[in-house]
Amino acid sequence: MKRKPVRVILLLASCCVALAQAVDPAYEPLTKAYEALRAKRYDEAVGAFRRAIELDPNRVAARKDLAYTYLKIGETESARDEFGEAMRLDPADNHLAMEYAFLCYETKEQAQARRIFDRVRKTGDPVAQQAFENIDRPLREGIERWKKAIELGSDTFSAHYELATLAEQRDELNLAAEHFLRAWRLIPDRRSVLVDLGRVSQRLKRDEEAVTALLAASRGGEPRAADAARKLLPARYPYVYEFRRALELDPANTELRRELAYLLLRMDRSAEAEREFQIVCEKAPDDLLSAAQLGFLYLARGDKERAIPLLDRVMKGPDEDLANRVRAVLRLPQKLKPRSDNAAPVSVDAKLMAERSFKAGYIRDALKYLQIAHEADPIDFSVMLKMGWAYNLLHDDAHAVPWFDLARRSPDPQISGEALRAYRNLRSATQRFQTTIWVFPTYSSRWRDLFAYGQIKTEWKPKFPLRPYVSIRLIGDSRRELGQAQGVQAPPQYLSESAVIFGVGLRTPTWKGLMGWAEAGSAAGYLTHHVLPDYRGGISFARGWGRLLGAEDSGWFFETNDDGVFISRFDKDFLVYSQNRGGYTAVIGGLRFQLYWNANVTFDQKRQAWANYTESGPGSRFRWSWLPESMSFTVNYLRGSYSVPQDGSRPSTYTDFRSGVWYAFSR
Amino acid sequence: MRFLVSLLFLIPAGAWAAALPYFSVLSDDAGGWPRIFSAVGFQPQAAGKARIFVLRPGALGSPDWTARVENGAVVILEGESPAAELFGFRREKENARVGSLEDVHRPGLAIIWEKALELPRYSVPKQARVFAWDKWSKVPVMAGYRLGSGAVLWVIASPGERGYERFPYLLHALGDLGVEPPFRSDRLWAFFDHSYRLRVDLDYFAARWRRAGITALHVAAWHFYDRDRERDQYLERLIAACHRQGVLVYAWLELPHVSEKFWNDHPEWREKTGVLQDAHLDWRKLMNLTNRDCFRAAAAGIQDLMRRFDWDGANVAELYFESLEGLANPARFTPMNDDVRAQFRRSNGFDPIEIFQKHDEARQRQFLEFRAGLAREMQREWLGVLEDVRHERRWLDLVLTHVDDRLDTGMRDAIGADSEGALKVLGPSRGTFLVEDPATVWNQGPERYTELARRYRERGATGNDGLAIDINIVERYQDVYPTKQQTGTELFQLVHFAAKAFPRVALYAEHSLLAPDVDLLSSAAAGVRRVERMGPKLVIDSEHGVGVPWSGDAMVDGKLWPVVDGRTAWLPSGAHTVEAATSVSAERPRALRFTGDLQTAEYLNNSTIEIAYSSKGRAAVVLSGRPLKFEVDGAPGSAVEAGEASFLLPRGQHIVTFQFQ
Repeated sequence: MKRKPVRVILLLASCCVALAQAVDPAYEPLTKAYEALRAKRYDEAVGAFRRAIELDPNRVAARKDLAYTYLKIGETESARDEFGEAMRLDPADNHLAMEYAFLCYETKEQAQARRIFDRVRKTGDPVAQQAFENIDRPLREGIERWKKAIELGSDTFSAHYELATLAEQRDELNLAAEHFLRAWRLIPDRRSVLVDLGRVSQRLKRDEEAVTALLAASRGGEPRAADAARKLLPARYPYVYEFRRALELDPANTELRRELAYLLLRMDRSAEAEREFQIVCEKAPDDLLSAAQLGFLYLARGDKERAIPLLDRVMKGPDEDLANRVRAVLRLPQKLKPRSDNAAPVSVDAKLMAERSFKAGYIRDALKYLQIAHEADPIDFSVMLKMGWAYNLLHDDAHAVPWFDLARRSPDPQISGEALRAYRNLRSATQRFQTTIWVFPTYSSRWRDLFAYGQIKTEWKPKFPLRPYVSIRLIGDSRRELGQAQGVQAPPQYLSESAVIFGVGLRTPTWKGLMGWAEAGSAAGYLTHHVLPDYRGGISFARGWGRLLGAEDSGWFFETNDDGVFISRFDKDFLVYSQNRGGYTAVIGGLRFQLYWNANVTFDQKRQAWANYTESGPGSRFRWSWLPESMSFTVNYLRGSYSVPQDGSRPSTYTDFRSGVWYAFSR
Repeated sequence: MRFLVSLLFLIPAGAWAAALPYFSVLSDDAGGWPRIFSAVGFQPQAAGKARIFVLRPGALGSPDWTARVENGAVVILEGESPAAELFGFRREKENARVGSLEDVHRPGLAIIWEKALELPRYSVPKQARVFAWDKWSKVPVMAGYRLGSGAVLWVIASPGERGYERFPYLLHALGDLGVEPPFRSDRLWAFFDHSYRLRVDLDYFAARWRRAGITALHVAAWHFYDRDRERDQYLERLIAACHRQGVLVYAWLELPHVSEKFWNDHPEWREKTGVLQDAHLDWRKLMNLTNRDCFRAAAAGIQDLMRRFDWDGANVAELYFESLEGLANPARFTPMNDDVRAQFRRSNGFDPIEIFQKHDEARQRQFLEFRAGLAREMQREWLGVLEDVRHERRWLDLVLTHVDDRLDTGMRDAIGADSEGALKVLGPSRGTFLVEDPATVWNQGPERYTELARRYRERGATGNDGLAIDINIVERYQDVYPTKQQTGTELFQLVHFAAKAFPRVALYAEHSLLAPDVDLLSSAAAGVRRVERMGPKLVIDSEHGVGVPWSGDAMVDGKLWPVVDGRTAWLPSGAHTVEAATSVSAERPRALRFTGDLQTAEYLNNSTIEIAYSSKGRAAVVLSGRPLKFEVDGAPGSAVEAGEASFLLPRGQHIVTFQFQ
């Protein structure tokens, strides 16, 4: 019986422990930390304390013990930071504050140590009083000593810098700022002192002065100073007036001035930019980048007399890339860098460089490296293929085709396949004569008939901008009767002229989808056997955006085909057709499938009843990858409405289901 | 059971032999890579023999590489190449400006490239650990992963011609991937200032110093000049902890700074600057040791200091004048105390303070020569003070630390340093002449040590083994990159070159060594002239002796070798063969640590070790257990017990035997 209370106590204690474990997430890592600490396994203890603090960041005791563990292993800065955090959590604990202050002192943060000791000593703590005095007295005496030394004529960088450093540590910030500035003026290349000045100015809440000094240090200074300045500067990009202030402080800072000049250029303040570039070029004649930019500015406003000497200087300079950029602007031939004889893996390096240039969009550079790679390894088909693409991207298909032609002979099926496709696509574009054949058989539910449209056209591509051609068109239907409905004249609204039209014509090259053409010929009605003169001509615009039918992946698209055509046979009428469709292209394996909405408008100059209508409705177009490239199927369901009175000759609205096959090729 | 233990010992030994420390850079232009690897003892070899391969930009991505890495090869990829792509490091479309790094090995340390580069961003494989990245753009710049029994490390750009311009912790990253340096040394000295280590666990630190290859600590002794119970106890504990770990302890003196109290108590003896202010320059409070009363008081205090503690030696350091700016800065120029001025006036007829009032080169020269002579005389005088102590404490080693004036010839006029005179003062066998790098050349490359050693050897004043070099590991005042203070590869190169050129390397300071560097220092200090395999044996030739990573027992020159500590076999200087021991016993006694110059060591029987050595000062030995008895040159008693299994052996050339149960 006597044992019962003991058992109860043990049970309660176990419950407490269990409860503590359940409630306190840091319990387990802290237990491990203290075990490791007792066994002097400090690294393990640090890890466990850190885990505990992650779980319970406000636990002051854990932070303190972590700090003491850090002290055991000499990680004084980490210990200082932990005490600092603990002090932040418990500002009333002077013991913590004192630990923090002592460690600040040990880790060269004297100013912070002095401030903390100062705060604590005011509570009457004699240790803090002594510690404060131990820091403050040497600072005070040092300041007096260096002031005196300067008075005695020691106007040196080190005298001013040491005085400023001591003054900053003693929070005599005005004195510090004054002497940092004086020190910097003695050695202006040491822009790290401007970082000191900026830091002190920030503490003095002189934000503009701080930005001025830091901005000057962040450009053109030693990289270390620039990095330190960047940490202190606001995250935003500096304003023009800040640049100007920084230049007033540090007028010899050419990098700063050059950056300001470029900023002004981007802001379309060319005249101001020009002035800044002029100053840079005067102060730093070796700054070829600024010389080139200033030269371009002169050139842009037609001042060749001032531009050419500057650009000449750049072209004679050591920066070959910059010189070539200038040559490109002046339309002068580029100079390739001389190649070293002992560079063994030329082709590999050149290929790599070409690849990089390609990816970065520097196609001319890529071409340069590919030429080097080709010279080094003339049977590298991958290089030939890339040469083809490089010329193609530079819109020089005449040079691209021979490279694709060479590459399609590669034993690598991937290279030869890609080259063959490119070769076929481009060859026709570069031939002197090109024959194009297209057919578009279409079934219309409205007319319950199958229509046949087609053309064979042979085009001559001379060097001048007009291309003559001869053409045979077929416009007919399978029932062979619509063309004669209600009269001798085949009305075009029946979609069939029942004629073969022979013609000769001229067309312009296509420019951004726009083309002009004119044709003269004869239309031979295969039902009437009449031959009538046929003159037609106009402009045509065809353009698509987004994922078109040939796209590699799915997405939205929009296409438009717009024609303005004069046709003599239709009472010398001028008709405008606009056929538009927008929708989504889905790529499902080898199937390309478009679902879209049609919106078509047709009108004419003479407002004829058959020639003015609108159509809209859903449609789809699709093809499989195994089909010839230019073959596709279309299905449309259209609702049409005439926009001029039909005088009872036909209903003013109609619906039409149309289905067709498009196929075209060139040789 | 014993067989199993034997097997465990043999396996790692075989593993070492399988992986000779060879690297190969697969490019006509090796760049800075050989300098990186050589800094910790790896040796260049043809690709067929190498284990570490560097593939520079554009290297082809042969699928064989994967198999080689899985079988233990270490591939280092630089920038963009098909090989890098093969291992998953792929270039992306965008570029980023890279020039300011953060590294996991020392987060918070500013690593700044002298020239920032516009580089492509890369995607790194998921299994890779990113070791370093650009601070501003967060672009990964060094990453790697283990693959099979090998590893892959990728860096975004060349490490630079010197090898440390961009990735100071590249060797640490390799270490994280399992690549351990091949050799170790335990010959380093380090300077120690207790004010940075007030609350550390001294036993923990003593073990750490031993692991870092530090054989002697030079302790800032001016803090202990004045008797203070608490401070004295600290020093006693420090010395005891060091001796237990086989680390020797020297008293480092920075005269004319005597002590804080001495300065406060004797304002009348304070040194004066050229503007006649008290010479409190930087941390030092300089005293006028020309004044005879001051000298006598300070000398008595120093002798008391030397007798109060169990020092192993004394280091008289930087005993000349201020400052590096010389006459250009009178506010830092010393000496201008009344005694010196009077002495000079008597011999030269004018007050030297006038040289600051009126520019007269001839007069300036007169005073600068007088001043150099004065410094020489002070050195002679103070070495004499310590010699007096050595008459009672014969084990004491003497060191004279003196700034170099051979590479930077301006030192003589700037601070009165005259190394030729100082070498004569020290004499050929009195102690070690420790050459200090002047701050003015801290920004120069490590090759300077070779030249420095040559210039001092030409003078031959101290004999070949009496020279040492001091490397200052501090934040340099020059605009240096990538780190303000030497760390990582730059530090290892400095130590490696210095250790090749000088018999002894001292580091200033123990506290300024960054934590990540500690474990690789010992490898950087190791110098091996040749390593090759001959059947089951390794042939290793070193100038000053070397440690070879070795688990278990080893045979050296065909005999069972007793100087092994479980992770290292410590070899004497010269060429020796090492092979796995045929009979292995975990219970056999061993000498785990020995700080003297080993000549031979052997087991006289299963329980007795004999070591022949020479040492300029005491030699410390740490044994695997407490011996029953020990003898030096056949006589008991001249070794000092420093712990359960630690002993301090007499300086000079001796044979010591330890007999165990």
